[in-house]
Amino acid sequence: MRYKILTVDDSKTVRIIVKKAFKSFDCEIIEAANGVEGLAAAGKEMPDLILLDITMPVMDGVEMLTKIKSDPTLKGIPVIMLTAEGGRDNVLKIAKIGVRDYIVKPFKEDVLVEKCGRIIDLKPLTDGPTKAKSIFDPATILVVEDKPAIIQQIQEGLKHTPWKIHGVNTTGEAIDFCGKNTPDLVIISLSLPDEAAFTLFRLIRQNVKSKYTPIFALVVKTEMNAQQQAQQVGFSYIVTKPIEISELESKIAKAMNLDTSQRYFAVDGDVFVMRLPENTTQTVVGEVLNYLKPKIAEAVDSGIVKAVIDLHELKGLNMAVIKLLIQAMQTCKELALQYTLIGNSQIVSECKGFEDTRNWQFHDSIADAKASFGKSASSSNAGTAAPQPAAVA
Amino acid sequence: MPTIDQISESVFRETINRAVQDVFKTMLSKAATMNNSSDVANADGTPWEHPVQINGQQVVGTVGFIGDISGLIYLYLEASFANEVASHMLGMTNQELVEAGDEVVNDAVGELTNMTVGTFKNQLADKGFPCRLTIPSILRGSNFSIEPVSSATRRIYRFNVGAHNLVVDLLMKTGD
Repeated sequence: MRYKILTVDDSKTVRIIVKKAFKSFDCEIIEAANGVEGLAAAGKEMPDLILLDITMPVMDGVEMLTKIKSDPTLKGIPVIMLTAEGGRDNVLKIAKIGVRDYIVKPFKEDVLVEKCGRIIDLKPLTDGPTKAKSIFDPATILVVEDKPAIIQQIQEGLKHTPWKIHGVNTTGEAIDFCGKNTPDLVIISLSLPDEAAFTLFRLIRQNVKSKYTPIFALVVKTEMNAQQQAQQVGFSYIVTKPIEISELESKIAKAMNLDTSQRYFAVDGDVFVMRLPENTTQTVVGEVLNYLKPKIAEAVDSGIVKAVIDLHELKGLNMAVIKLLIQAMQTCKELALQYTLIGNSQIVSECKGFEDTRNWQFHDSIADAKASFGKSASSSNAGTAAPQPAAVA
Repeated sequence: MPTIDQISESVFRETINRAVQDVFKTMLSKAATMNNSSDVANADGTPWEHPVQINGQQVVGTVGFIGDISGLIYLYLEASFANEVASHMLGMTNQELVEAGDEVVNDAVGELTNMTVGTFKNQLADKGFPCRLTIPSILRGSNFSIEPVSSATRRIYRFNVGAHNLVVDLLMKTGD
């Protein structure tokens, strides 16, 4: 839901500053120049929050506030005073009418956003609201760990990604970093002294800008208590040491909501290619399954009629992979897509050993596979180069 | 009840100094330094020599305060300084400001004055002199002077903000 904030101030300058302060958040700013306009806008738009000045022509802020509080439909809308009218007695008098906060001008934009963020659930705007970031996009990951060797291991392990891994040794440095940058993901070691990891976690969560930033905990596999505590506090994921880098990579991609489909699906000329990596783990199978139907449908939608399932990198078969392949073939058939397989000698021989895969036929390369479509097009065998697999219950 | 006469010169000076510094630091990230050598000129009501060398346009913001003490504060800014202030507050480039026109600069200076006078009078309110602000107004020109009536007390404070000068002219109704 997109939040609406109504700013009521006779100064256009203040209204522009308010707009500027919230421009990186997913909310709509509505403007009014005095109490009368403010009441009309509040009734029409039903904002989620009102920022209200006091000294204004036509109708001042105190009168508008009093009218809001006596209107049954408006009285629930939280109001923050944003005014140069301070002074203890004045503030107390107005607070009694019913305001959620009171900001005395001059004010910092950060403070305004922070105070509003306590009342409404402000979400930072993503660059493209509909398009998910892909695994080929750069991202900043902050690693807070007092052991440099671990930071190095993560940096080394993820160096093939476009992600910038920034390592720091203390929470102080981490806070400093977060003040100047907005990391896309934070990994905090639970081994930092004095439970500093939990304090840092809370600080990051309290900041409006990083409220939704995924935070991973890093902990030794056997430290069950710390893991449990991290889970209760709300860490997005627990990474256990020794670190399994490929697992960490896919968890990071998932937490950052990255589109990883390009790893497994591509369009090569007029052919749709589904490729399984060397080490197709359970996690990978899950990821591929998620994308399978929409990706094939997308290809068909764009006019593609041929598909290649490329297994030449795959090390070995297991039931999960076989089920995935059968489902992929099934989906191709449902959408009348011709498909064929590419395999290596290991996979070809393993396929002979399973009932469901015994009759699968493989090509050696993309070129072979593509050439085979020409031949099969003239055959009457439903356009499939590989024999149809038996259904799996 | 305290009376205005009980407020000493140093309290006025300190209060206005804090207000200007606070507003410029918070809104513009700029340090304002009070120039002590020549302030409190003509507090006795003698004819006022204009405190600013007017070279070209001036933009003057005014906001009043009314209550247990009443008065007016004028903030004098050279036009180039006023543009700089507006550009910083609004996050606009000079070109955008030119396109937007004087009105936008006036509004920004008005708001700057409003905040300064607000901070000034809120401190006085906490000292036992409640009062409220008036709506800002703006004066633009290159050859003018503003004169108080004889019953008003005038205090003039000068500030340096980077390479620019800021003059704060505080006029107060004398205690009845």
